[in-house]
Amino acid sequence: MHRQYELVYIAMPDSTEEQLAELHQQVATVVDRFSGTIERTEMWGRRRLAYEINRQREGVYVLEILNGPGAMTTELDRRLRVLDIVMRHLIIRIDEVLAKETRTQTRRKAATVSRRLRRGLPAEPTEQELSRRKAEADDADGGDGFGEGDR
Amino acid sequence: MNDYDKDSRGGGRGGAKGAAKGKDDKAGRRGGLFRRRRVCKFCVEKIDYVSYKDVKVLTPFIPERGKIQPRRISGTCAKHQRALQVAIKRARTLALIPYVTD
Repeated sequence: MHRQYELVYIAMPDSTEEQLAELHQQVATVVDRFSGTIERTEMWGRRRLAYEINRQREGVYVLEILNGPGAMTTELDRRLRVLDIVMRHLIIRIDEVLAKETRTQTRRKAATVSRRLRRGLPAEPTEQELSRRKAEADDADGGDGFGEGDR
Repeated sequence: MNDYDKDSRGGGRGGAKGAAKGKDDKAGRRGGLFRRRRVCKFCVEKIDYVSYKDVKVLTPFIPERGKIQPRRISGTCAKHQRALQVAIKRARTLALIPYVTD
C-alpha cells in the first residue's frame, strides 16, 4: 500500500553541496529499497532557526515529497536520526489531507455553481461581477482595519 | 496541549476571581464596547488545509510570548483551531516558529 509522505530535514549550516547531495542520495536509496518514488524535492536553502539546535542558529532546509509504504518512513526516521549532519527531521503523511482538501474545494465550487443556477445566473461569475467584487475587496482593506487589530 | 491550555485558563480565572468585583464589571463593559464580530480567518479565506510550512499564515496566531492564541480571542472556529494547533506544533519542531520567546 503506497501512500504519500512529506519529509523535511534540516542539515547543519556548514554542510557542503556534496554532503547535501550524498544525503539526498541516501534518502533516495532507502526510498528505492521500499520501491517508493521521490515525487519532488525542494531546497529551501539556509534559513534562520527560530531557536538554537545543536548550538546552531541556521540550518539548511530540504523538503521531499515521497510515495511509498509506511515501513519506509520508519526506516527513514531511524536513519535520519543517526546521521550527524541532520539536525532535525519530520515526516508526515499528506495523501489524506490533500485528498480532503481537493474534495472540499470541488464540493464548494459545485455548491456555488448550483446556487448561481438556481438564482438564474450563469454558472461562472461574469467579468463585471469579478471587477466589482475586486473593487469591494480593495475598499474593505483600507476601511475598518478589520482582522488586523483582533489578533 | 490540553494540560497547558487548562493551566493558563485556570490561572486567568483565578486572577479575575481574586480581584475586586468592581474590576470584573469594568472588564465586562470594556468587552461590550470593543467587541467586534469575530470570524474564523480560515473560513473566510477558504483555507482547507493549514500547512506548517506557511509561516506567514501561522504567525498572526502566535503572540509575542510564543503561545498559541486561544480561540476566544482569535475567533477561529473549532475545526480550524484544531488544524492550526497541529500546524503550529509541527512548525515548532522544525524551528520555523519558536516554542517560547522572552
